[in-house]
Amino acid sequence: MASLKDKYAIVGVGHSALGKVPELSDYGLQVMAVKAALDDAGLTKNDVDAVITHSHLLGAVRVHHQNLSERLGIDTAFGVSLSAGGATSCLMVQVAAAAIEAGFCKTVLCVHGDKGATRKTPGRGEGGGEFGPEYGLYGAAGQHAFGLTRHMHEYGTTHDHMGAIAVACRKHAQLNPVAAMQADMTLEDYHNSRWIVWPFHLFDCCLRSDGAAAVIVTSAERARDMKQKPVHVMGMGRANNSRGYIHGDHMTELGAKESGAHAFAMAGLTPKDIDTAQIYDCFTYILMATLEDYGFCKKGEGGPFVSGGRIELGGELPTNTSGGMLSECYIEGMLQIVEGVRQLRGECGPRQVKDAETAIISGNGGNAVCHSTLILRN
Amino acid sequence: MSDYAKPIPTPSEDSQPYWEAARNHELKLQQCAACSAFRFPPAAVCSECTSDAYEWKPVSGKARVFSFVIYHRAYHPGFKEELPYVVAVIELDEGPRMLSNVIGCKPEEVRCDMPVEVAFEDITDEMTLPKFRPA
Repeated sequence: MASLKDKYAIVGVGHSALGKVPELSDYGLQVMAVKAALDDAGLTKNDVDAVITHSHLLGAVRVHHQNLSERLGIDTAFGVSLSAGGATSCLMVQVAAAAIEAGFCKTVLCVHGDKGATRKTPGRGEGGGEFGPEYGLYGAAGQHAFGLTRHMHEYGTTHDHMGAIAVACRKHAQLNPVAAMQADMTLEDYHNSRWIVWPFHLFDCCLRSDGAAAVIVTSAERARDMKQKPVHVMGMGRANNSRGYIHGDHMTELGAKESGAHAFAMAGLTPKDIDTAQIYDCFTYILMATLEDYGFCKKGEGGPFVSGGRIELGGELPTNTSGGMLSECYIEGMLQIVEGVRQLRGECGPRQVKDAETAIISGNGGNAVCHSTLILRN
Repeated sequence: MSDYAKPIPTPSEDSQPYWEAARNHELKLQQCAACSAFRFPPAAVCSECTSDAYEWKPVSGKARVFSFVIYHRAYHPGFKEELPYVVAVIELDEGPRMLSNVIGCKPEEVRCDMPVEVAFEDITDEMTLPKFRPA
Protein backbone atom coordinates (compact mmCIF):
# COMPACT_ATOMS: atom_id res chain seq x y z
CA MET A 1 0.00 0.00 0.00
CA ALA A 2 1.24 3.47 -0.84
CA SER A 3 2.33 5.66 2.04
CA LEU A 4 -0.36 7.72 3.73
CA LYS A 5 2.15 10.51 4.29
CA ASP A 6 0.48 13.92 3.90
CA LYS A 7 -2.69 12.25 2.58
CA TYR A 8 -4.78 13.18 5.62
CA ALA A 9 -5.16 16.37 7.58
CA ILE A 10 -6.53 17.77 10.79
CA VAL A 11 -9.01 20.48 9.84
CA GLY A 12 -10.56 21.37 13.18
CA VAL A 13 -9.68 21.24 16.87
CA GLY A 14 -11.56 22.35 19.94
CA HIS A 15 -12.07 21.81 23.61
CA SER A 16 -14.67 22.38 26.28
CA ALA A 17 -14.19 24.46 29.40
CA LEU A 18 -11.23 22.92 31.25
CA GLY A 19 -10.27 22.39 34.86
CA LYS A 20 -13.24 22.16 37.19
CA VAL A 21 -16.56 22.06 35.34
CA PRO A 22 -19.07 20.67 37.83
CA GLU A 23 -22.09 21.90 35.83
CA LEU A 24 -21.46 19.64 32.82
CA SER A 25 -21.64 15.86 32.51
CA ASP A 26 -18.94 13.89 30.71
CA TYR A 27 -21.16 13.83 27.61
CA GLY A 28 -21.80 17.53 28.10
CA LEU A 29 -18.07 18.23 28.03
CA GLN A 30 -17.66 16.09 24.93
CA VAL A 31 -20.43 17.74 22.92
CA MET A 32 -19.10 21.18 23.83
CA ALA A 33 -15.68 20.10 22.53
CA VAL A 34 -17.29 18.84 19.33
CA LYS A 35 -19.14 22.16 18.85
CA ALA A 36 -15.86 24.04 19.25
CA ALA A 37 -14.05 21.78 16.78
CA LEU A 38 -16.84 21.98 14.19
CA ASP A 39 -16.88 25.74 14.50
CA ASP A 40 -13.09 25.84 14.21
CA ALA A 41 -13.32 23.74 11.02
CA GLY A 42 -16.26 25.67 9.59
CA LEU A 43 -18.27 22.46 9.42
CA THR A 44 -21.62 21.30 10.75
CA LYS A 45 -22.35 17.93 12.29
CA ASN A 46 -23.92 16.90 8.99
CA ASP A 47 -20.49 17.15 7.37
CA VAL A 48 -19.19 14.43 9.68
CA ASP A 49 -19.83 10.76 8.94
CA ALA A 50 -17.70 9.00 11.54
CA VAL A 51 -17.11 9.23 15.28
CA ILE A 52 -14.22 7.69 17.19
CA THR A 53 -14.13 7.91 20.97
CA HIS A 54 -12.04 6.67 23.83
CA SER A 55 -13.80 3.70 25.37
CA HIS A 56 -13.19 4.38 29.03
CA LEU A 57 -13.77 7.05 31.58
CA LEU A 58 -12.24 7.43 34.99
CA GLY A 59 -15.71 7.20 36.46
CA ALA A 60 -18.19 4.38 36.32
CA VAL A 61 -19.98 5.53 33.16
CA ARG A 62 -18.53 4.20 29.93
CA VAL A 63 -18.79 6.46 26.94
CA HIS A 64 -19.09 4.80 23.59
CA HIS A 65 -19.25 6.32 20.15
CA GLN A 66 -22.95 5.47 19.94
CA ASN A 67 -23.80 7.43 23.06
CA LEU A 68 -21.93 10.48 21.83
CA SER A 69 -23.37 10.17 18.30
CA GLU A 70 -26.86 9.95 19.78
CA ARG A 71 -26.33 13.21 21.63
CA LEU A 72 -24.92 14.85 18.52
CA GLY A 73 -27.72 13.51 16.33
CA ILE A 74 -25.38 11.81 13.87
CA ASP A 75 -25.91 8.48 12.13
CA THR A 76 -22.37 7.40 11.34
CA ALA A 77 -20.94 5.44 8.43
CA PHE A 78 -18.19 4.37 10.82
CA GLY A 79 -18.09 4.48 14.59
CA VAL A 80 -15.77 2.81 17.05
CA SER A 81 -14.46 3.21 20.57
CA LEU A 82 -10.79 2.51 21.20
CA SER A 83 -9.06 1.39 24.36
CA ALA A 84 -5.33 2.03 24.48
CA GLY A 85 -5.26 4.24 27.57
CA GLY A 86 -3.28 7.42 26.99
CA ALA A 87 -2.18 6.15 23.58
CA THR A 88 -5.78 6.36 22.38
CA SER A 89 -5.49 10.07 21.51
CA CYS A 90 -2.99 9.80 18.64
CA LEU A 91 -4.32 6.34 17.74
CA MET A 92 -7.77 7.83 17.05
CA VAL A 93 -6.27 10.09 14.37
CA GLN A 94 -4.49 7.09 12.83
CA VAL A 95 -7.62 4.93 12.81
CA ALA A 96 -9.50 7.88 11.28
CA ALA A 97 -6.97 8.12 8.43
CA ALA A 98 -7.02 4.34 7.92
CA ALA A 99 -10.83 4.27 7.87
CA ILE A 100 -11.02 7.06 5.29
CA GLU A 101 -8.33 5.32 3.23
CA ALA A 102 -10.37 2.11 3.37
CA GLY A 103 -13.43 3.95 2.10
CA PHE A 104 -15.41 3.51 5.32
CA CYS A 105 -16.08 7.23 5.75
CA LYS A 106 -14.95 10.71 4.71
CA THR A 107 -14.69 13.02 7.70
CA VAL A 108 -14.05 11.78 11.23
CA LEU A 109 -14.63 13.28 14.65
CA CYS A 110 -12.15 12.05 17.28
CA VAL A 111 -13.35 12.85 20.78
CA HIS A 112 -12.41 12.26 24.37
CA GLY A 113 -13.31 13.93 27.61
CA ASP A 114 -13.85 13.10 31.21
CA LYS A 115 -14.61 14.46 34.64
CA GLY A 116 -11.44 13.66 36.50
CA ALA A 117 -11.75 16.61 38.87
CA THR A 118 -15.34 16.76 40.02
CA ARG A 119 -16.66 13.24 39.58
CA LYS A 120 -16.65 11.05 42.62
CA THR A 121 -14.65 8.12 41.27
CA PRO A 122 -14.91 4.65 42.75
CA GLY A 123 -12.15 4.08 45.30
CA ARG A 124 -9.00 2.31 44.25
CA GLY A 125 -8.47 -1.16 45.49
CA GLU A 126 -12.12 -2.01 45.90
CA GLY A 127 -13.12 -5.45 44.75
CA GLY A 128 -10.93 -8.43 44.08
CA GLY A 129 -7.62 -8.99 42.42
CA GLU A 130 -4.22 -10.45 43.02
CA PHE A 131 -0.53 -9.76 42.39
CA GLY A 132 -0.74 -6.05 43.21
CA PRO A 133 -3.37 -4.72 45.63
CA GLU A 134 -2.40 -7.13 48.41
CA TYR A 135 1.08 -5.58 48.34
CA GLY A 136 -0.27 -2.05 48.31
CA LEU A 137 0.35 -1.27 44.63
CA TYR A 138 -2.28 1.32 43.75
CA GLY A 139 -2.74 3.84 41.02
CA ALA A 140 -0.87 4.87 37.93
CA ALA A 141 1.83 6.73 39.86
CA GLY A 142 3.22 3.56 41.44
CA GLN A 143 3.37 1.67 38.15
CA HIS A 144 5.13 4.51 36.33
CA ALA A 145 7.48 5.26 39.22
CA PHE A 146 9.24 1.88 38.88
CA GLY A 147 10.62 3.17 35.59
CA LEU A 148 12.18 6.26 37.12
CA THR A 149 13.75 4.25 39.96
CA ARG A 150 15.38 1.93 37.45
CA HIS A 151 16.39 4.80 35.14
CA MET A 152 18.06 6.55 38.08
CA HIS A 153 19.90 3.33 38.94
CA GLU A 154 21.10 2.63 35.41
CA TYR A 155 21.83 6.14 34.16
CA GLY A 156 22.22 8.42 37.17
CA THR A 157 19.07 10.39 36.40
CA THR A 158 18.14 12.76 39.22
CA HIS A 159 15.21 14.64 40.71
CA ASP A 160 16.77 17.85 39.39
CA HIS A 161 16.16 16.46 35.90
CA MET A 162 12.52 15.71 36.66
CA GLY A 163 12.18 19.13 38.24
CA ALA A 164 13.41 20.77 35.04
CA ILE A 165 10.48 19.18 33.21
CA ALA A 166 7.92 20.25 35.82
CA VAL A 167 9.27 23.81 35.84
CA ALA A 168 9.32 24.04 32.02
CA CYS A 169 5.68 22.95 31.81
CA ARG A 170 4.69 25.43 34.50
CA LYS A 171 6.42 28.32 32.71
CA HIS A 172 4.53 27.42 29.54
CA ALA A 173 1.23 27.17 31.42
CA GLN A 174 1.72 30.75 32.60
CA LEU A 175 1.55 31.79 28.93
CA ASN A 176 -1.70 29.87 28.40
CA PRO A 177 -4.78 31.54 29.90
CA VAL A 178 -6.82 28.31 30.01
CA ALA A 179 -4.11 26.36 31.88
CA ALA A 180 -5.09 25.36 35.40
CA MET A 181 -1.74 25.98 37.09
CA GLN A 182 -0.71 29.62 36.92
CA ALA A 183 1.37 29.97 40.11
CA ASP A 184 5.15 30.25 39.84
CA MET A 185 7.10 27.04 40.37
CA THR A 186 10.84 26.97 41.10
CA LEU A 187 13.08 23.92 41.21
CA GLU A 188 13.00 24.32 44.98
CA ASP A 189 9.19 24.25 44.96
CA TYR A 190 9.41 21.02 42.99
CA HIS A 191 11.77 19.45 45.52
CA ASN A 192 9.57 20.61 48.39
CA SER A 193 6.37 19.14 46.96
CA ARG A 194 5.26 16.11 48.92
CA TRP A 195 5.99 12.53 47.95
CA ILE A 196 3.16 10.71 46.24
CA VAL A 197 5.07 7.50 45.59
CA TRP A 198 8.85 7.85 45.79
CA PRO A 199 10.53 8.68 43.42
CA PHE A 200 7.53 10.79 42.33
CA HIS A 201 6.84 14.10 44.03
CA LEU A 202 3.40 15.65 43.67
CA PHE A 203 4.81 17.85 40.89
CA ASP A 204 5.93 14.78 38.91
CA CYS A 205 2.27 13.85 38.50
CA CYS A 206 -0.24 15.25 36.02
CA LEU A 207 -3.42 17.00 37.02
CA ARG A 208 -6.87 15.50 37.43
CA SER A 209 -9.18 17.58 35.31
CA ASP A 210 -12.61 17.97 33.83
CA GLY A 211 -12.56 18.61 30.13
CA ALA A 212 -12.98 17.24 26.63
CA ALA A 213 -11.31 17.85 23.30
CA ALA A 214 -12.17 16.98 19.71
CA VAL A 215 -10.10 16.68 16.55
CA ILE A 216 -11.54 16.47 13.00
CA VAL A 217 -9.69 14.42 10.38
CA THR A 218 -10.38 14.34 6.65
CA SER A 219 -8.47 13.85 3.40
CA ALA A 220 -5.88 16.46 2.42
CA GLU A 221 -7.82 16.86 -0.79
CA ARG A 222 -11.03 17.83 1.04
CA ALA A 223 -9.05 19.89 3.51
CA ARG A 224 -7.81 22.21 0.78
CA ASP A 225 -11.17 23.99 0.50
CA MET A 226 -11.91 24.26 4.20
CA LYS A 227 -11.84 27.19 6.59
CA GLN A 228 -8.51 26.48 8.28
CA LYS A 229 -5.11 26.01 6.79
CA PRO A 230 -4.85 22.21 7.00
CA VAL A 231 -2.35 20.55 9.30
CA HIS A 232 -1.09 17.45 7.52
CA VAL A 233 -0.38 14.10 9.10
CA MET A 234 3.14 13.33 7.89
CA GLY A 235 3.96 10.40 10.10
CA MET A 236 2.07 7.89 12.20
CA GLY A 237 3.43 5.28 14.58
CA ARG A 238 2.18 2.93 17.23
CA ALA A 239 3.65 0.11 19.30
CA ASN A 240 2.80 -1.59 22.54
CA ASN A 241 4.97 -3.10 25.26
CA SER A 242 2.09 -5.48 25.74
CA ARG A 243 4.09 -7.99 27.79
CA GLY A 244 3.80 -5.36 30.51
CA TYR A 245 5.95 -2.65 32.01
CA ILE A 246 7.39 -5.30 34.32
CA HIS A 247 8.90 -7.26 31.40
CA GLY A 248 12.44 -6.96 30.03
CA ASP A 249 13.58 -3.35 29.68
CA HIS A 250 10.03 -2.08 29.10
CA MET A 251 10.02 0.25 32.10
CA THR A 252 13.00 2.21 30.71
CA GLU A 253 12.36 1.70 26.98
CA LEU A 254 8.78 2.55 26.14
CA GLY A 255 6.70 1.55 23.12
CA ALA A 256 7.80 5.03 22.04
CA LYS A 257 10.98 3.64 20.49
CA GLU A 258 9.25 1.54 17.84
CA SER A 259 6.30 3.90 17.50
CA GLY A 260 8.58 6.90 16.96
CA ALA A 261 10.71 5.00 14.45
CA HIS A 262 7.58 4.19 12.40
CA ALA A 263 6.44 7.81 12.48
CA PHE A 264 9.84 9.27 11.52
CA ALA A 265 10.28 6.72 8.71
CA MET A 266 6.85 7.52 7.29
CA ALA A 267 7.45 11.27 7.54
CA GLY A 268 10.95 11.01 6.11
CA LEU A 269 12.22 13.16 8.97
CA THR A 270 14.67 12.83 11.84
CA PRO A 271 14.42 14.37 15.32
CA LYS A 272 16.54 17.31 14.12
CA ASP A 273 13.69 18.31 11.78
CA ILE A 274 11.12 18.69 14.58
CA ASP A 275 10.25 22.23 15.69
CA THR A 276 8.06 21.44 18.70
CA ALA A 277 7.13 18.37 20.73
CA GLN A 278 3.84 17.80 22.54
CA ILE A 279 4.62 14.78 24.68
CA TYR A 280 2.32 12.70 26.86
CA ASP A 281 3.35 13.82 30.34
CA CYS A 282 1.25 11.76 32.72
CA PHE A 283 4.44 11.85 34.77
CA THR A 284 7.65 13.82 34.23
CA TYR A 285 9.57 10.59 33.74
CA ILE A 286 7.40 9.44 30.83
CA LEU A 287 8.11 12.70 28.98
CA MET A 288 11.86 12.24 29.43
CA ALA A 289 11.83 8.56 28.44
CA THR A 290 9.71 9.36 25.36
CA LEU A 291 12.19 12.00 24.16
CA GLU A 292 14.99 9.44 24.55
CA ASP A 293 13.05 6.74 22.74
CA TYR A 294 12.20 9.14 19.90
CA GLY A 295 15.93 9.71 19.44
CA PHE A 296 16.16 13.36 20.52
CA CYS A 297 19.03 12.12 22.68
CA LYS A 298 20.55 8.75 23.56
CA LYS A 299 18.93 6.40 26.05
CA GLY A 300 20.11 7.47 29.47
CA GLU A 301 20.88 11.05 28.46
CA GLY A 302 17.32 12.30 28.84
CA GLY A 303 18.02 13.94 32.19
CA PRO A 304 20.73 16.30 30.93
CA PHE A 305 18.73 16.76 27.69
CA VAL A 306 15.64 18.19 29.42
CA SER A 307 17.76 20.47 31.60
CA GLY A 308 19.12 23.95 31.00
CA GLY A 309 16.04 25.25 29.20
CA ARG A 310 16.40 23.02 26.14
CA ILE A 311 12.71 22.00 26.26
CA GLU A 312 11.46 25.49 27.15
CA LEU A 313 10.18 28.10 24.71
CA GLY A 314 13.26 29.63 23.12
CA GLY A 315 15.15 26.36 23.62
CA GLU A 316 16.18 23.78 21.06
CA LEU A 317 12.99 21.72 21.38
CA PRO A 318 10.09 23.67 22.90
CA THR A 319 8.05 20.91 24.51
CA ASN A 320 4.51 20.91 25.92
CA THR A 321 4.08 24.57 25.11
CA SER A 322 0.55 24.66 26.57
CA GLY A 323 1.77 23.50 29.97
CA GLY A 324 0.98 19.87 29.21
CA MET A 325 -0.95 17.54 31.45
CA LEU A 326 1.37 18.53 34.30
CA SER A 327 0.23 22.17 34.33
CA GLU A 328 -2.52 22.81 31.75
CA CYS A 329 -5.13 20.07 31.89
CA TYR A 330 -5.39 16.28 31.68
CA ILE A 331 -7.52 14.89 28.88
CA GLU A 332 -5.40 11.80 28.26
CA GLY A 333 -3.31 13.35 25.50
CA MET A 334 -6.06 15.03 23.47
CA LEU A 335 -4.83 18.54 24.24
CA GLN A 336 -1.35 17.56 23.02
CA ILE A 337 -2.86 17.19 19.53
CA VAL A 338 -4.81 20.44 19.88
CA GLU A 339 -1.69 22.36 20.91
CA GLY A 340 0.39 20.81 18.11
CA VAL A 341 -2.19 21.88 15.53
CA ARG A 342 -2.45 25.39 16.95
CA GLN A 343 1.34 25.79 16.98
CA LEU A 344 1.48 24.78 13.31
CA ARG A 345 -1.25 27.28 12.49
CA GLY A 346 0.66 29.99 14.35
CA GLU A 347 -2.22 30.67 16.77
CA CYS A 348 -0.39 30.47 20.07
CA GLY A 349 0.35 34.11 20.81
CA PRO A 350 2.91 34.57 23.59
CA ARG A 351 3.76 30.87 23.61
CA GLN A 352 4.08 30.54 19.83
CA VAL A 353 7.13 28.60 18.64
CA LYS A 354 8.58 30.87 15.98
CA ASP A 355 8.14 29.53 12.43
CA ALA A 356 6.97 26.13 13.66
CA GLU A 357 6.53 23.85 10.66
CA THR A 358 6.69 20.39 12.21
CA ALA A 359 5.43 18.92 15.47
CA ILE A 360 5.67 15.51 17.08
CA ILE A 361 2.83 14.39 19.34
CA SER A 362 2.79 11.35 21.61
CA GLY A 363 0.30 9.27 23.51
CA ASN A 364 1.31 6.71 26.12
CA GLY A 365 -0.85 4.61 28.38
CA GLY A 366 -2.60 1.38 29.19
CA ASN A 367 -0.53 0.73 32.34
CA ALA A 368 2.55 2.26 30.68
CA VAL A 369 2.56 -0.16 27.75
CA CYS A 370 0.72 1.39 24.78
CA HIS A 371 2.25 4.15 22.65
CA SER A 372 1.20 6.18 19.62
CA THR A 373 2.92 8.95 17.67
CA LEU A 374 1.91 11.61 15.16
CA ILE A 375 4.20 13.86 13.16
CA LEU A 376 2.33 16.88 11.82
CA ARG A 377 3.27 19.68 9.45
CA ASN A 378 1.58 22.82 8.28
CA MET B 1 -12.74 -13.68 62.14
CA SER B 2 -9.45 -12.16 61.03
CA ASP B 3 -8.75 -8.52 61.76
CA TYR B 4 -6.41 -8.30 58.76
CA ALA B 5 -7.23 -4.92 57.18
CA LYS B 6 -5.44 -5.07 53.83
CA PRO B 7 -6.81 -6.57 50.61
CA ILE B 8 -6.74 -10.35 50.48
CA PRO B 9 -5.90 -11.86 47.08
CA THR B 10 -8.75 -13.49 45.19
CA PRO B 11 -7.13 -16.46 43.41
CA SER B 12 -8.20 -17.28 39.87
CA GLU B 13 -8.53 -20.71 38.29
CA ASP B 14 -4.98 -20.25 37.02
CA SER B 15 -3.38 -19.08 40.25
CA GLN B 16 -5.03 -21.38 42.83
CA PRO B 17 -2.03 -23.77 43.01
CA TYR B 18 0.36 -20.81 43.50
CA TRP B 19 -1.55 -19.61 46.54
CA GLU B 20 -1.93 -23.16 47.90
CA ALA B 21 1.85 -23.60 47.74
CA ALA B 22 2.38 -20.24 49.44
CA ARG B 23 0.07 -21.40 52.21
CA ASN B 24 2.58 -24.20 52.78
CA HIS B 25 5.45 -21.70 52.69
CA GLU B 26 6.61 -22.87 49.31
CA LEU B 27 7.17 -20.69 46.27
CA LYS B 28 6.02 -22.70 43.27
CA LEU B 29 5.76 -21.58 39.65
CA GLN B 30 4.62 -23.30 36.51
CA GLN B 31 7.49 -24.72 34.48
CA CYS B 32 6.83 -25.40 30.81
CA ALA B 33 7.22 -29.10 29.95
CA ALA B 34 8.24 -28.21 26.38
CA CYS B 35 10.80 -25.40 26.77
CA SER B 36 11.50 -25.49 30.55
CA ALA B 37 10.73 -21.78 31.00
CA PHE B 38 9.26 -20.75 34.32
CA ARG B 39 6.40 -18.28 34.06
CA PHE B 40 4.55 -15.73 36.14
CA PRO B 41 1.77 -14.73 36.52
CA PRO B 42 0.17 -18.16 36.29
CA ALA B 43 -1.38 -18.88 32.89
CA ALA B 44 -2.77 -21.81 30.92
CA VAL B 45 0.01 -21.70 28.33
CA CYS B 46 3.71 -20.88 28.29
CA SER B 47 4.43 -17.21 27.55
CA GLU B 48 7.57 -18.24 25.62
CA CYS B 49 6.40 -21.17 23.46
CA THR B 50 2.60 -21.40 24.00
CA SER B 51 2.78 -25.03 25.08
CA ASP B 52 -0.02 -25.99 27.46
CA ALA B 53 2.04 -28.74 29.15
CA TYR B 54 3.50 -27.71 32.50
CA GLU B 55 4.24 -28.74 36.04
CA TRP B 56 4.14 -26.69 39.23
CA LYS B 57 7.74 -26.70 40.48
CA PRO B 58 9.32 -25.21 43.61
CA VAL B 59 11.76 -22.37 42.90
CA SER B 60 14.69 -21.19 45.00
CA GLY B 61 13.09 -18.06 46.45
CA LYS B 62 16.32 -16.26 45.64
CA ALA B 63 15.88 -13.04 43.76
CA ARG B 64 16.95 -9.44 43.24
CA VAL B 65 15.09 -6.15 43.45
CA PHE B 66 14.72 -5.03 39.83
CA SER B 67 12.99 -1.79 40.76
CA PHE B 68 10.96 -0.39 43.63
CA VAL B 69 8.80 2.48 44.79
CA ILE B 70 8.00 3.82 48.25
CA TYR B 71 4.40 4.67 49.07
CA HIS B 72 3.98 7.75 51.25
CA ARG B 73 0.20 7.82 50.99
CA ALA B 74 -2.25 5.04 51.77
CA TYR B 75 -4.65 4.48 48.88
CA HIS B 76 -6.29 1.75 50.94
CA PRO B 77 -6.91 2.31 54.67
CA GLY B 78 -5.27 -1.02 55.50
CA PHE B 79 -1.84 0.36 54.59
CA LYS B 80 -2.01 3.48 56.78
CA GLU B 81 -0.10 1.91 59.65
CA GLU B 82 2.68 0.74 57.38
CA LEU B 83 3.64 4.02 55.70
CA PRO B 84 6.10 4.46 54.20
CA TYR B 85 6.23 0.98 52.59
CA VAL B 86 8.09 -0.51 49.64
CA VAL B 87 6.51 -2.18 46.61
CA ALA B 88 9.12 -3.84 44.43
CA VAL B 89 9.44 -5.59 41.11
CA ILE B 90 11.23 -8.76 42.19
CA GLU B 91 13.21 -10.77 39.65
CA LEU B 92 13.50 -14.40 40.68
CA ASP B 93 16.76 -16.24 39.93
CA GLU B 94 14.66 -18.51 37.69
CA GLY B 95 13.75 -15.51 35.52
CA PRO B 96 10.14 -14.41 36.10
CA ARG B 97 9.35 -11.11 37.76
CA MET B 98 6.62 -10.44 40.31
CA LEU B 99 5.37 -7.63 42.49
CA SER B 100 5.87 -7.90 46.22
CA ASN B 101 6.97 -6.00 49.31
CA VAL B 102 10.54 -5.73 50.55
CA ILE B 103 10.48 -6.22 54.31
CA GLY B 104 13.09 -6.55 57.01
CA CYS B 105 14.93 -3.32 56.23
CA LYS B 106 14.18 0.39 56.08
CA PRO B 107 12.69 1.67 52.83
CA GLU B 108 15.69 3.96 52.32
CA GLU B 109 18.01 0.95 52.44
CA VAL B 110 16.40 -0.74 49.43
CA ARG B 111 18.41 -0.57 46.17
CA CYS B 112 17.95 -1.81 42.62
CA ASP B 113 19.70 -5.17 42.08
CA MET B 114 19.84 -5.80 45.84
CA PRO B 115 19.76 -9.57 46.56
CA VAL B 116 16.65 -10.71 48.41
CA GLU B 117 14.99 -13.98 49.41
CA VAL B 118 11.41 -15.01 49.90
CA ALA B 119 9.77 -14.70 53.32
CA PHE B 120 6.23 -15.91 53.90
CA GLU B 121 3.67 -13.87 55.79
CA ASP B 122 0.53 -15.68 56.96
CA ILE B 123 -2.17 -13.03 56.73
CA THR B 124 -5.21 -15.21 57.51
CA ASP B 125 -5.76 -18.88 58.29
CA GLU B 126 -6.17 -19.52 54.57
CA MET B 127 -3.85 -17.03 52.90
CA THR B 128 -0.09 -16.45 52.91
CA LEU B 129 1.76 -13.74 50.98
CA PRO B 130 5.24 -14.32 49.60
CA LYS B 131 7.33 -11.24 50.47
CA PHE B 132 11.06 -10.61 50.16
CA ARG B 133 13.78 -9.61 52.61
CA PRO B 134 17.45 -8.76 52.16
CA ALA B 135 19.47 -11.94 51.56
